Amino acid sequence: MFKQLTDLSGNEWYLIASLWIFLIFFIVVGLRLFWMRKDHVDYMKDMPLQDEEERS
Amino acid sequence: MQLTKFNYDNKIVRDFGIATIVWGIVGMSVGLLVAVQLVWPFMNFEFQYTTFGRVRPLHTNAVIFAFVGNAIFMGVYYSLQRLLKARMFSDFLSKVHFWGWQLIILAAAITLPLGLTTSHEYAELEWPIDIGITVIWVVFGINMFGTIVKRRERHMYVAIWFYIATFVTVAVLHIVNSVQLPISLWKSYYLYAGVQDALVQWWYGHNAVAFFLTTPYLGMMYYFLPKMAGRPVYSYKLSILHFWSLIFIYIWAGPHHLLYTSLPGWVQSLGVVFSIMLIAPSWGGMINGLLTLRGAWDKVRTDPTLKFMVVALTAYGMATFEGPMLSLKQVNAIAHFTDWIVAHVHVGALGWNGFMTFAILYWLVPRIYKTELYSTKLASVHFWIGTLGILFYAIPMYWAAVVQGLMWKEFTPEGVLKYPNFLATTLQIIPMHMMRAVGGALYLAGAILMTYNLVKTMRKGKLVANEPSEAPELVPLVVNERSRHRRLERKPALFLVLALITILIGGIVQMMPTFLISSNVPTIASVKPYTALELQGRDLYIREGCVGCHSQTVRPFRSETARYGDYSKAGEFVYDHPFLWGSKRTGPDLHRIGMKYPNKWHFDHMLDPTITSPGSIMPPYPWLIDQGLDTTGTKAKLNAMRILGVPYTDEEVNGANADLMRQAEGIAADLKAQGVDVRADREIVAMIAYLQRLGTDIKAHEGPIMGNQ
Repeated sequence: MFKQLTDLSGNEWYLIASLWIFLIFFIVVGLRLFWMRKDHVDYMKDMPLQDEEERS
Repeated sequence: MQLTKFNYDNKIVRDFGIATIVWGIVGMSVGLLVAVQLVWPFMNFEFQYTTFGRVRPLHTNAVIFAFVGNAIFMGVYYSLQRLLKARMFSDFLSKVHFWGWQLIILAAAITLPLGLTTSHEYAELEWPIDIGITVIWVVFGINMFGTIVKRRERHMYVAIWFYIATFVTVAVLHIVNSVQLPISLWKSYYLYAGVQDALVQWWYGHNAVAFFLTTPYLGMMYYFLPKMAGRPVYSYKLSILHFWSLIFIYIWAGPHHLLYTSLPGWVQSLGVVFSIMLIAPSWGGMINGLLTLRGAWDKVRTDPTLKFMVVALTAYGMATFEGPMLSLKQVNAIAHFTDWIVAHVHVGALGWNGFMTFAILYWLVPRIYKTELYSTKLASVHFWIGTLGILFYAIPMYWAAVVQGLMWKEFTPEGVLKYPNFLATTLQIIPMHMMRAVGGALYLAGAILMTYNLVKTMRKGKLVANEPSEAPELVPLVVNERSRHRRLERKPALFLVLALITILIGGIVQMMPTFLISSNVPTIASVKPYTALELQGRDLYIREGCVGCHSQTVRPFRSETARYGDYSKAGEFVYDHPFLWGSKRTGPDLHRIGMKYPNKWHFDHMLDPTITSPGSIMPPYPWLIDQGLDTTGTKAKLNAMRILGVPYTDEEVNGANADLMRQAEGIAADLKAQGVDVRADREIVAMIAYLQRLGTDIKAHEGPIMGNQ
């Protein structure tokens, strides 16, 4: 299974560069999430239920 | 704080809801018709406009763009207004959007049976309709962003991010995959050819699944599931990670549709890797959805909307696990071109899209009509019939796929193909195709039941066309928000740009080298452009939708080279505008069919396939023998090809019809010698000329052909 990911006949830099791009992107998004404030998270997740609450 | 009173526009939501139901029934009925035709080909009523090749794209377009498309707009127009605490930006634009979209669907329903098609899967509509789609999509975008701009809620909930990503990505996909050179009002050629065209098409095709069938539905899931369950989404942080990872990774995975073809190997490998990585965000979303039901599972027993949602999420999980598995080269080698792909697609379409649409309709219609659902019991019956329908559909198709995939590859101890006649493998799976049709019929019956239930619900209540609400106006922000993502959530334009950059990275990395580095698509000296007659025959092949059942790419496996001949090289397709590799083998591959059989064999085969292949499920094409070939556009076609880079000379272009008739008369004379009296100007002659040319140029090549050349 892994042979098809490593044996790329000299074109592996496309794959490696692409994975690096994603890894950096993923880490940046992850860090942003880590630093996100809980009160904001709670506010955002309740948003779809707000109009129900307002009505009741 | 001063509250502002305003109204939500429920009428547009209702209109899109009705369109969803109507087109859903139409699309599913056409699907049932094509399923039945794969068992009994005479169910095309021997009428060219209802033949499988022409009607199958009608089914896919009706289900994807009419049923799912209208459902997306219904869900977006309902949730967007409430999440932003604002009425839609413009009622006029809403109406233009609604009627424009229905007009596009109607145009598709008329042109596809007429054989007016580009042949690109899920992008079959010809260029005037493509322009219509672009205009209406822009209208939708203006209406959506206009609403976002005049919102009364500072931050955009995760559902809206998915809607924004859908809008921008579908726009990019549609434009790039619709670059065509018009020949006439209803005929055009793609700018790209062969390998490059294949890469663009499956970049589009895969991401149409991603950004039309998935991201808007994920947005709707993040809005409607908490509403149905009465609980907030399980993890908002996970939803952010889900969103950015999903849109980043999805765009790279398209080449997994082209494994073992002549696409450059590095692009195939990129497609494989990113397809496997795709499991993570997909399952992140599914788990986030299912865990939203924590503490509310008791409701699932009694609430049919939640039942539909649970199966929808489960189907999403299954399909998004199955997709990456099918992308593994070893699995793909067996499963590709078989019914497994059809089953995979339908688990997604029937389970994920269909069931979530039903859930939203059952939840939404009573609310905008201020009443209760007419019958919860009927909705539950619909749920069980629909679930059974999915099972009856998918299981026989998986079974058929394994049977056929293994039969294609089986050799005798003497080292020859055990089933050299392709038809033997087709006939073996007909009982499974019958079961599949039963599954489709059950699913359709469920949808009809839902229609009855919803019509009764609408009659019971009264539409609240303008639903009153109130919210404070937004005041300018004076405090700088600490979190960057929090700031981003209130900046829609920046959000759009970032989402655009995210989805462009994958496409650029994969496409630019394939387009700019000539070694990625090498040419072969012996491969020449099609003659005028062959080009006309190719256009008939496209018109009849032959590509829906016959591939034109032989993969480098012993089982395929033994059955069809030498494997396909990239250089053989450089003049193919568009490429016609196909994605399913209901019949055998045709890339090496040229000169394999005499002209008369092809004539008999098109007149009635059972003459040459007893038991064949291919429909007859008698109209090709009756209808005269339209040669008025021959010169324009060659000229267009020359503009696109095909090296036709002035003599070839100017004398196109004279050359055409010369070649046609030769074929007609040969047929006459075999006892078939047919005029040279009939369509069948052009079709035979094209089929006899397929895959023959390479035989004239001297010396070795390197790599995937």
